[in-house]
Amino acid sequence: MNNIISTTSWRSVKNARFLWALALFLLIVATVTLPAFRSSVSVNSLLATLAPIVIISIGQAITIMFGGIDLSVGAVAGLATVMLALSGTIPGGAAAAFALALFSGLVVGLINGLGVSSGINPLLMTFAIAGVVQGTALLVQNTSGAAMPLGFVSILGTSFGPVPLFALFAVLVLVGAWLWLSQSRTGRVLQAAGYDQQIAGRLGFHVARTTLIAYGLSGMLAALGGLAIVTRTYAADALIGRSSVIDSVATVLVAGILITGGVGSLLSVLPAAVIIAVVGQIITLTGTDANFQTIFKGVLLVAAMGVYQLAGGSLRIPWRLKKSAVPANKVGPR
Amino acid sequence: MKSSALSLRLVPAQLWVAYGLVLVCVLLLGFNTEDGFSPDRLLRILSNAAPLGVVAIAQTLVIINRGLDLSVGPIMNTAGILTAVLTASPGASLATTVPIVLIVGASIGVINGVMLAFTRIPPLLGTLATATVIQGLYSLITRGQPRGSVPPELRVLADHRVFATPFSGSLIIWIVLLVIVGLVLTRTVAGQRFYSVGANPRAAWLSGVPIKSHTLIAYTASGLLSAAAGILLIAYSGSPSLTAADTYSLNSVVAAVIGGAALAGGTGGMVGTFAGVAVLAFLTTVLTSFNVASPIQLVVNGAVLILMLFVNGRIAKRRAHA
Repeated sequence: MNNIISTTSWRSVKNARFLWALALFLLIVATVTLPAFRSSVSVNSLLATLAPIVIISIGQAITIMFGGIDLSVGAVAGLATVMLALSGTIPGGAAAAFALALFSGLVVGLINGLGVSSGINPLLMTFAIAGVVQGTALLVQNTSGAAMPLGFVSILGTSFGPVPLFALFAVLVLVGAWLWLSQSRTGRVLQAAGYDQQIAGRLGFHVARTTLIAYGLSGMLAALGGLAIVTRTYAADALIGRSSVIDSVATVLVAGILITGGVGSLLSVLPAAVIIAVVGQIITLTGTDANFQTIFKGVLLVAAMGVYQLAGGSLRIPWRLKKSAVPANKVGPR
Repeated sequence: MKSSALSLRLVPAQLWVAYGLVLVCVLLLGFNTEDGFSPDRLLRILSNAAPLGVVAIAQTLVIINRGLDLSVGPIMNTAGILTAVLTASPGASLATTVPIVLIVGASIGVINGVMLAFTRIPPLLGTLATATVIQGLYSLITRGQPRGSVPPELRVLADHRVFATPFSGSLIIWIVLLVIVGLVLTRTVAGQRFYSVGANPRAAWLSGVPIKSHTLIAYTASGLLSAAAGILLIAYSGSPSLTAADTYSLNSVVAAVIGGAALAGGTGGMVGTFAGVAVLAFLTTVLTSFNVASPIQLVVNGAVLILMLFVNGRIAKRRAHA
C-alpha cells in the first residue's frame, strides 16, 4: 500500500504515475480526435477553467491532508468576487479590494480553524460557515456603488499566448504548497496531525496552531480561486462558487489523498484536475448536455473513493447481510 | 416512566436547551406581532414547516446511525417533479402516483445505504455524490423545466383544515410519522438496537446486532421519508421545482443538531428533532416579521448551527467527565 507521507522523493511522486499517465492519455486522445480541442481558444478556455479548480483544490487538499474538510470554499470564492467589486467604495481602489478579498478569505478560514480546534466536527463547522459567508456575500453584493474594476480584472486576466496569467500562477502555488507541505516543519506536522491527531498532540506538536494554518490557507486559496474565476466572468456573484465544493473534493480524492488524512501527495492534484477539466471540455466541445458533466463528477467522486479503497485491499463485499459476531467462529471485522 | 420527578431528571440537557430556544422564539414572535400568541397562527407556522419536519425525521434517523444524508434535498425535488409529471399523465391518480414516488425515493435510499454500508466511503461525501448525480439526472431529463401540475386534491393537504380541527393535513401526517418513529425508537427492541449500532457499532456487532443492515435500513427510511417530504412540499408550494428543496439538506441537519443529535451517533430523538424544526420555523417567522433580509436569515441559521454544535459539544464533554 502506498501508505507513505508526502515528500519530494521520487518514491512519493511515483505513486501517482498512473494518474499522470491517464491525464496524458486523455489529453492525447482529445487532441487527436477533436480538432476543436486543438484550437488556441479551446486551450485558453481549458486553462482558464483549470486555474481556479487547481487553486481551490490545493486549499482543500491541505485541509483533507490534515484530516478535515472545507465545505466553505465555494462560499468564500463568492465572497472574494463580491469584495473585489467594492473597489469603488473603499480607499485604495482595486489593489486594496484585491487585498481585502484575500484577507476576508483568510479570516473565514481562521474562524473555521478556531471552530474545528474547539472540537466542532469540521464538516458541520465549515458547512455552517458556508451559510454565514454566503449570506454575508449576498448582503455585500447589494452595496450601492459596488462595481467590478474592469481594468484591474483585465490585467489579472492577461494571457501570454493561450496561457492565462492565473494558470501559471496556479502551477506556481501548487509547487510551492507541495514543497511547503513536504519539506517544511509545519508541513510535516500538518501531515502527522492528519494521520493521527491524538498521537501528534502527545508528541508535543502544536496541533491547534496547525489547524489554524491549514484552514486559514484553505480560506485564502479559496478566495484566490474566486478571483481567478472573476477573470473569466467579470461578475461579482455571491453564488459563483456553487460547484467549487464538489469540484475540489472530487479533485482531491481523485488525486489519491485519503479522506481520513495524512496520506497522499499534493502534486497529484494537478493531473487529477486536468482529468476532470479535460473530460468537461470534451463534454462541452462535443455538444453533449452539460448536465452529464454534473453526473460525471458525482460518479467520479464515488469511483475515486472506491478505487483507492480497492487499491488498499480493504473493499470487501459481504454477501450475507445478517452476518453477526456470535455464531461466527473466529475473527471479527477489523 | 411512572414517577414524573425521576423522568424529569433524565431529560438530557440538550432538550432543555432546544425547548428553551423554542420558547424564546415563540415569545419574541408573540410580543412583537399583533395577535402573536393566537394558536391558529402558531399551528399554521408549524403546518408550513411540515416538509422540513418530515425530512428532519429522516435526517435524525441517519445521524443516530452515525451517518449524514445530504441527498435529502435532491430526493425531495425528485419526488416533487415526479408527482407533478405522473399525476398529469392520462389515467393516473394520486393513489397510483404517491406509492410510485415513495418507491423511487426509497430506492435512492437503498443505493445510498448499499454504498455506505459496504464500503468505507464517508457518508457525507457518498451522499453528496448521490445528490450531485440525482440533480444532474433530473436537470437532464426535465431539460431545466419541470412539467406537469399539482392536483388540487394534493393542495388540500397543506391548505385545508381536517374535520374542523385546527390541524392541517400535512401537520397531522408529520406528527403521526414523528410519533410512530419515536415510539419505535424508544419503546421497541428494534429501536434500542438501532441506537446501539449508532452509539458503538463494534460493541453492537459483538452483541449480535447486524450493523450493516441497520445502516441500510436507516438510509432507505431516509429516502422514503424524503420522498414523502417532497410530496408535502409541492402540496404547499403548488409547483414542481428543480431547486426548491436544496436548502432542506442543510436545514434538516440543523434541526436534528438543535434537537440534540450528535454526529458521533447514538444520540438524538424525535422529541428533540421536533423542537429543532419548531426553532427553525419560528426563527424564520420572527426574522421575517422584523423585515430581516433573507441573506441575514442565512447568516443567522448558520450561526445558530455553530452555536448549538458548540453548546451540545460542551454538554456531551461535561457528561463524559461526570
